[in-house]
Amino acid sequence: MIKAILVFNNHGKPRLTKFYQYFNEEMQQQIIKETFQLVSKRDDNVCNFLEGGSLIGGADYKLIYRHYATLYFVFCVDSSESELGILDLIQVFVETLDKCFENVCELDLIFHVDKVHYILNELVMGGMVLETNMTEIITRIDDQNKLEKQEAGLAAAPARAVSAVKNMNLPQQIKDIKLPDLPAAIKDLKF
Amino acid sequence: MEEAFYREAAKMPAVRGDGMRGLAVFISDIRNCKSKEAEVKRINKELANIRSKFKGDKTLDGYQKKKYVCKLLFIFLLGHDIDFGHMEAVNLLSSNKYTEKQIGYLFISVLVNTNSDLIKLIVQSIKNDLSSRNPVHVNLALQCIANIGSKEMADAFGNDIPKLLVSGETMDVVKQSAALCLLRLFRTTQEIIPGGEWTSRIIHLLNDQHMGVVTAACSLIEALVKKNPDEYKGCVSLAVSRLSRIVTASYTDLQDYTYYFVPAPWLSVKLLRLLQHYPPPEDPGVRGRLNECLDTILNKAQEPPKSKKVQHSNAKNAVLFEAISIIIHSDSEPNLLVRACNQLGQFLSHRETNLRYLALETMCLLATSEFSHEAVKKHQETVINALKTERDVSVRQRAVDLLYAMCDRSNAEEIVQEMLNYLETADYSIREEMVLKVAILAEKYAQDYTWYVDVILNLIRIAGDYVSEEVWYRVIQIVVNREDVQGYAAKTVFEALQAPACHENMVKVGGYILGEFGNLIAGDSRSAPAVQFQLLHSKYHLCSAATRALLLTTYIKFINLFPEIKSQIQDVLKSNSNLRSSDAELQQRASEYLHLSITTTTDVLATVLEEMPPFTEKESSILAVLKKKSGRMSAQEAQREARVQARENSTVPLPDKAQIAQLNNSTSADLLGLSTPPASQNSTQSNTGVLVDVLGDLYGGSTTTHNGTTTPATTTSTAGATDNIKKFVCKNNGVLYENDIIQIGIKSEFRQNLGRIGVFYGNKTSMPLQGFLPTVSVGGTQQGKVTVQVKPVEPSIDAGAQVQQLVNCECIEDFLGLPDLTVSFTYGNVPQRLALHLPLSCNKFFEPTDMNGESFFSRWKNLSAPSQEAQKIFKNAGPMENAAIKTKLLGFGMQLLEGIDPNPENFVCAAIIHTRTQQIGCLLRLEPNRQAQMYRLTIRASKESTAHIMAELLAEQF
Repeated sequence: MIKAILVFNNHGKPRLTKFYQYFNEEMQQQIIKETFQLVSKRDDNVCNFLEGGSLIGGADYKLIYRHYATLYFVFCVDSSESELGILDLIQVFVETLDKCFENVCELDLIFHVDKVHYILNELVMGGMVLETNMTEIITRIDDQNKLEKQEAGLAAAPARAVSAVKNMNLPQQIKDIKLPDLPAAIKDLKF
Repeated sequence: MEEAFYREAAKMPAVRGDGMRGLAVFISDIRNCKSKEAEVKRINKELANIRSKFKGDKTLDGYQKKKYVCKLLFIFLLGHDIDFGHMEAVNLLSSNKYTEKQIGYLFISVLVNTNSDLIKLIVQSIKNDLSSRNPVHVNLALQCIANIGSKEMADAFGNDIPKLLVSGETMDVVKQSAALCLLRLFRTTQEIIPGGEWTSRIIHLLNDQHMGVVTAACSLIEALVKKNPDEYKGCVSLAVSRLSRIVTASYTDLQDYTYYFVPAPWLSVKLLRLLQHYPPPEDPGVRGRLNECLDTILNKAQEPPKSKKVQHSNAKNAVLFEAISIIIHSDSEPNLLVRACNQLGQFLSHRETNLRYLALETMCLLATSEFSHEAVKKHQETVINALKTERDVSVRQRAVDLLYAMCDRSNAEEIVQEMLNYLETADYSIREEMVLKVAILAEKYAQDYTWYVDVILNLIRIAGDYVSEEVWYRVIQIVVNREDVQGYAAKTVFEALQAPACHENMVKVGGYILGEFGNLIAGDSRSAPAVQFQLLHSKYHLCSAATRALLLTTYIKFINLFPEIKSQIQDVLKSNSNLRSSDAELQQRASEYLHLSITTTTDVLATVLEEMPPFTEKESSILAVLKKKSGRMSAQEAQREARVQARENSTVPLPDKAQIAQLNNSTSADLLGLSTPPASQNSTQSNTGVLVDVLGDLYGGSTTTHNGTTTPATTTSTAGATDNIKKFVCKNNGVLYENDIIQIGIKSEFRQNLGRIGVFYGNKTSMPLQGFLPTVSVGGTQQGKVTVQVKPVEPSIDAGAQVQQLVNCECIEDFLGLPDLTVSFTYGNVPQRLALHLPLSCNKFFEPTDMNGESFFSRWKNLSAPSQEAQKIFKNAGPMENAAIKTKLLGFGMQLLEGIDPNPENFVCAAIIHTRTQQIGCLLRLEPNRQAQMYRLTIRASKESTAHIMAELLAEQF
């Protein structure tokens, strides 16, 4: 069984956390911290499995992880899971993200926490693998997107019109909206 | 795909299509904060804002609620507690807009725990969505149930979900989720799965058209099988045929479920896991088909890869490893086992680190199968090489585990040596565990205990900091209990201590051993008493208080062993740094030892400071530590453990004594499994109440002569457990029986015609002993002559636990033989039965009787009728030493009358046997003939049968 799925960046800043076993908030943060410490000190070309930390599981648990550029994807699993199977599942997850976000990057995970959760929900349920067929997963996500678009088209149009009018001719307000300085944000991703 | 997340810079921050710009702005703000403080400030501002929006009188529309919930989720992810917003999220559930509903569910899945008061409200919304015609809504509801997974959820939806799962109308997507949702609820509430016809309907999901449904169902079935394997037995043949269809499919057959040219790898893995819950199928057809599948998988591994991508090799090997797992699990196809072993052998030198890791891990299991144990040993060199060259500590750890698993008597010396070599450079994180493993292997497979002593001293030298107390206690226990290594140990520690810098643990071991056995090497002028003392004392000031305290005890022991250096030692004890030490323990020891050495006579000193009696043998304390260290053992490890033991014992059920004897011979030099402490005289005299000594008689004869050399030691090969019973004729306490699984100890006391025997059953394994049932029966010759009353014990002994059983007994008249003690239990599903005897012999009811020579010989003459006398002449088996003979006679329960027999070589004894009806006087005379190595034993008793019974019993003791 998968006990937790953690995604954090090279600085240990969490980007996605999903626990399939109940831990209180404080414990969740400690687990993230401990897992980051265990994983981040390892070289890139060593093996992708290591024994779990002290907080989540112990000897019967393994951390199975992959490192992609700025992000670590870590699955904490018990001994009933196949290590290589989980490794492939991480890959399916990332490939799906890549397709849904069209060239996924860390920012997508930051700005679309909800969407990432929805994608994960199609892959894993209650700690067990739900679906591994990428085509199938993407079809389901597309179905959801379609629903979203329909609703946006029907209901959101007036709301958008209102806010567009509201925001018109208000240069000061536009200035106040701090759009992120992109290259800088990437250079020193400081969370 | 390796390039995912490398393209950051090329992308604009995504602004949401649905215009949740407030969220994007907030996130950007947070990211632009220059300090942690600024971030916290910004978050608190936002939380205050959201709170006021929620509390405000203006009703928020769905869009706004959704926006704020998204913000809260983001804040939560950053590690801030969220204590409001739950109600708003619940309201979103009943929204008729999918997007709002979705975010409501998301919030709840992340933030609502099982105890929340909101659950009741949530349940209603879920009910509505579950009955929706839109599968997307139904799935949202199922995901939510699975996420919360509480008892309430099980109660509320326990009826709906199974129906959803098997109904013909349910769409595949929903079916799939329903299977896993049900599994989640099953984990909290096992009753949720209806039995009866549902069983076969659930099993038949394995035949479903949709591979996703089969995958999910397979997980569910596996969990159900764990609980009730018999009920779900039917899944075996279905799983095998499904597997067979996948394995033989070409990669185009399964289309989307083919992953990088491997057909349905996840499902294959799941099916293979499922099958591991059952023994190999009985039906030859199914079994043949399964073996075919395994064969095909092994063959495919040899084919050239269809893709260079790592995903291809991962998927293919995931299936392969699972196939190997099931081959090991069945442990019945030697051909497949050997192929599996060869395949793993190839992986051992694969360039992929992951594969090397898994190969080492899986081989650990293979090493425990009797078919493949030898095949695994062929890879010993590669594994040792892995230990030396692997860059990844996780992999080296697996190599250590495998070496430990593949170790047996034939390769122990080499493996222990390699592990010692590696220890010098090993990672700090695994040193302690390695030290334990080396210590255990050295002890377990020692054929020569001098080697064992060398190994442990090397351990201390190389990794002293990681040698826990248990390890150095253990070496001392073994040295104390084995006379044959005492001299060697003393010599070796003496040499080791000569190193300019030696570890404190070495000083402890050295101090203890020289204090006990320094006399054995004192004959050599290079290790004369004064030299030994100065060597130890040169380390004294560098040591911690605990070690100094130990050394002070060594010094006082030296005063006893070597009176010639008494004044030197007294000077040390007198010195201010000891006598007025700020450490209370040191001060006390120094002053007490000093006064002991001044005021007492040498006799008293010799008694007080006598050599330590042997230690009680229990399970090796080190093994217990290792088990504790590895904590909750995984099911796999537990299985491995059980199999290692099974292999070493070669036990299946133990029907008779012959097999037990055989079993014990096969582990004869194994100190872990068998206790071999020599008896010391005082162990029988002093009623210490501890379990002492097992092979007393083997060793009782050879006492250490304090003249600087050891007496010729008895050989290390020992008698088996069945012999222990014989030794109980002359003693009341000790280990009656021991194998790798169980240790049975005895503590008994007798008063007149009554007795009480405490039987201690200790479980040495890491699994509970089930159906534990010891029975005592009084058989033929003892019928009516002795009664036993047995207190029942619990039917299960937990891992590592010990239970006590009391047996009350009464002697009605004199009897021959011993009551039977039958112990039956189940260990790892293998029923075991031990046929033993209760150590309750007639002589236990002796009361020693003192008398002078005159009255002895007058009584002797009174019992001159031929039927009152029993005489036996027999050859001596052990060494013929007075001390040993006395020990036996005292242990036999009679009063030894010294200085009575005109021939000082002879022994005479007197005692009374108490039975319910009468008292029987009993006299004994034992005449050793040293030239002929023979004894003549004469017993006279007031009752005819008694003399014969006693002669039978005692003669066997020599």
